[in-house]
Amino acid sequence: MERVNNSKGKFARVLMLFAVILLPWLVAIFWVNKIGEEEKPVTVNIINYKADSLPPPVDHSKYEVLQQNFETPQQVTEACISCHNKTGHDIMHTSHWKWSRPYVNENGDTVELGKKNIINNFCIGTNSNEPRCTSCHIGYGWKNKDFNFKAELNIDCIICHDQTGTYKKFPTAAGYPVKEEKAFGGKKFLPPDYNRVAQNVGMPKRENCGACHYFGGGGNNVKHGDLEKILTKTTKEVDIHMGIDGEDMSCTACHASDRHDIQGQLYSVSSYNQNRTSCEQCHTETPHENTIINQHANRVACQTCHIPTYAKGAPTKMDWDWSTAGRHNEDGSITVEKDSNGVMTYHGKKGSFKWAKNVTPEYAWFNGNTDHYLIGDKVEDTTVAVQINTLLGSFDDLESKIIPMKVHRGKQIYDPVNKTLIIPHLFGKDSTAYWKHFDWNKASITGMEKAGLPYSGEFTFINTEMYWPINHMVTSREESLKCMDCHSRDGRLANLAGFYMPGRDYNNILDTIGVLLIILAFAGVILHGSLRYFSKK
Amino acid sequence: MKKSTYIYRRFERFWHWSQVLLIFFLALTGFEVHSSFKLFGFENAVNWHNIAAWAFLTLIVFAIFWHFVSGEWKQYIPTTKYMMAQINYYIFGIFKGAQHPTHKTIYNKFNPLQRFTYLGLKLLVIPVQVVTGFLYMYYMYPENPIHLGGIEITALIHTLGAFFLIAFVIFHMYLTTTGETVFTSIKAMLTGWEVVDVDEEEEHTEHLKSAVKHSIAGYYRLDKNGNFLDVNEAWLKMYKCTDREQIIGKHYSVARKKEDVKELDGIVAQVFEGKIIKAVPATRKCKDGSLGRHILSANPTYAGGDLTGMEGFIIDITDLDTESEHLHYAVKNSQAGYYRLNCKGYYQDVNDAWLSLYGFDRDEIIGKHYSLSRTKEDLHKLDEIIAKVTSGKSISNMIATRKCKDGSTGKHILSANPVYEKDLIVGMEGFILDLDSVKEEI
Repeated sequence: MERVNNSKGKFARVLMLFAVILLPWLVAIFWVNKIGEEEKPVTVNIINYKADSLPPPVDHSKYEVLQQNFETPQQVTEACISCHNKTGHDIMHTSHWKWSRPYVNENGDTVELGKKNIINNFCIGTNSNEPRCTSCHIGYGWKNKDFNFKAELNIDCIICHDQTGTYKKFPTAAGYPVKEEKAFGGKKFLPPDYNRVAQNVGMPKRENCGACHYFGGGGNNVKHGDLEKILTKTTKEVDIHMGIDGEDMSCTACHASDRHDIQGQLYSVSSYNQNRTSCEQCHTETPHENTIINQHANRVACQTCHIPTYAKGAPTKMDWDWSTAGRHNEDGSITVEKDSNGVMTYHGKKGSFKWAKNVTPEYAWFNGNTDHYLIGDKVEDTTVAVQINTLLGSFDDLESKIIPMKVHRGKQIYDPVNKTLIIPHLFGKDSTAYWKHFDWNKASITGMEKAGLPYSGEFTFINTEMYWPINHMVTSREESLKCMDCHSRDGRLANLAGFYMPGRDYNNILDTIGVLLIILAFAGVILHGSLRYFSKK
Repeated sequence: MKKSTYIYRRFERFWHWSQVLLIFFLALTGFEVHSSFKLFGFENAVNWHNIAAWAFLTLIVFAIFWHFVSGEWKQYIPTTKYMMAQINYYIFGIFKGAQHPTHKTIYNKFNPLQRFTYLGLKLLVIPVQVVTGFLYMYYMYPENPIHLGGIEITALIHTLGAFFLIAFVIFHMYLTTTGETVFTSIKAMLTGWEVVDVDEEEEHTEHLKSAVKHSIAGYYRLDKNGNFLDVNEAWLKMYKCTDREQIIGKHYSVARKKEDVKELDGIVAQVFEGKIIKAVPATRKCKDGSLGRHILSANPTYAGGDLTGMEGFIIDITDLDTESEHLHYAVKNSQAGYYRLNCKGYYQDVNDAWLSLYGFDRDEIIGKHYSLSRTKEDLHKLDEIIAKVTSGKSISNMIATRKCKDGSTGKHILSANPVYEKDLIVGMEGFILDLDSVKEEI
């Protein structure tokens, strides 16, 4: 082993060293460039789910009890429960029937929270407006607070189970279909063929759920933003699960039910982290190949990355200003304004609207529990928007995850003396309904009286905000959010405070010191080097 | 004296350049994650930063192991000696063409500023980066035993560390240009070889130290009471001792048969009177009770003018077939002569005893080829020895004929072993004990 001394050996050594130094860089650059283009076959690991491809187990048309000539919808219900004789009892425990869920408040008392004591910033409250609102109740005749929730025959079975697509409740008839042909909003409503409908019942289809859930707020996609009629027959681009060119899953594939108690809830009216539908129930908690992305699932909801936009079909309402309502044209007709796309931007009965399509969600920490503004609650701070519902959670709360949400901003009627939001009497044929007489004061007196709350006689309008978690219109993994959508200086989570996120956050002082350090180092080196150079000359 | 020296060993260079690559790559990917620029793409940057971090950690583990096994960690022990001189040099001296205030040697590769800086990196910056890096990677595991409550502090410290490392790299790269020429230091880090100043006195001491350690000749040192203070490996081997601890502190009488102790007593007494014993034959009693023959030299040791004990060498002659003759010749022979050749056969070092045997002055022999010290007929014999030794063998008891300066010849007994510098054989060295002078006396 003699020292290599000749210049050839030395050269070879230096060459080899450079090769060793350069090779990893070349390999790395090649690999990195290749990774971007690599398309892996999509394999999704699914648990607890099996598409139901079998025909229905029974043919209802063969049952004699369903072959009678039904005169009223209640007769159909009677026929149903003549066989399904415990189902009525089950139904009466569900939120679909009660429109409320039990909630234990801070005093330990259990109260029922629901549409009767929670309000929104769309049409505000159900009290005094029942016949209009309850067209979406799975019952018949909830026209005021005296509705009998114990009467089984008032259950509307067929609104959910009709397979013919012909059964419709009339929008203003407290949950009843029409008895004779009637028109509403330019649409004809025909009396149902009860006989045919009753013989054609089955698992709820998308249309059945959608009949109410698409149209909350009085029109397609007004409220949710991620639930609208396009989902009945859609493509993978709109929703990767429901696209008929893909998995073709119905609502009930995820929203399974246990004795008619259907899984899932939305926090516009729900309060508790229970019986939720989740992506994990099929996809597991670690569905990704990449560990770091799986780790994200500890604190980031699936929806955050996999629903980059909502309202992919029809626009959804983002802002509703009631304070401008009441305008009439010169001919006395109610003023209606539409934008160039035919989207209504003003209605004399309701005020001004803002709509949006393909909306980027806003984001919040959420632990599954919600606080609500209940009717009669005092507004503490009038300088900020009143929180109609508050999604609870924070980075420090380990149960919280980041979720996407639609924020609906409103400006609605408010009693500045009692410091309460007012439930106005909007709908009705009486002398005080706002939509008939356009008198806010009268509408407030009636509305608040029906709600059993004081009204001072003074009203103004106040900004409110309502939060709608986004859960549908899930996109393909290719279209899902990429790291940089959030991990950048001005990413989607730029405003989500309370934690440090790489790529977004930095400490200004520290970075300034660091950059200065580098600049000084360079300056020092250049100065020293040039002094050396010139002093040697 | 300037001398091309193998100063950075193979692993050291591999470690250094791998570290260069990794630090650059970690900085690029790290600052991309910091959103300072876009290069690989955020996802790639994160994944690659993590992979590079693991690679770095592996390298660190190997490097720590290497530092301890090679003893190179001692190079990083901080010192303030010459610290001001070094600072003054960089601030003033360097512009006036002054000499570096400290000299790089194999035993002292770093100047005091380097020692401080590198130690700071090794003990502070890099450990902090590793620890914060780990927290960064694993703080969010659900089964995480430590709950950090966010990574803000972790991330900020990690960022600060990165800025420090970059500043270090800038200074470090610049300071590599302050060698003899701009590329001297980088070339040295690539090839391992650098021309460094050699302190002859220090070199001489180091040679002897390592010669004693590696020699095939046994070395011993006794204190004033005749107890062993030190022995080398070769001594232990000759005495069939496996553990140095078994002999250190024991009286020399354990190394002799009862009837031979008296003889040794006499030698020791003479040495303690200041006499140098050049070579006497002796019979040793080994650990297992077996006997062996060797030739022994002894001289007193001094500290500050006071006699503190004695030391000397022994060369094994048990297996010599002409034993009795040589033993006879060896009586009252010379002090052991020390020589060192480089692998091409040029004298690098000899001691005074050697010089007196050959009759040369030091200047006449250092740097000269060994053929000068052999007759033509004997030359091939030494050629063979050198070939053997430079291939890694040791020779313990060769009888050789030397050619002195005045052309006369003499016989001596010779030991030879390879000289290692790092992992390379760079020459041979050994001791000689004269057999001739005694013959004449008789």
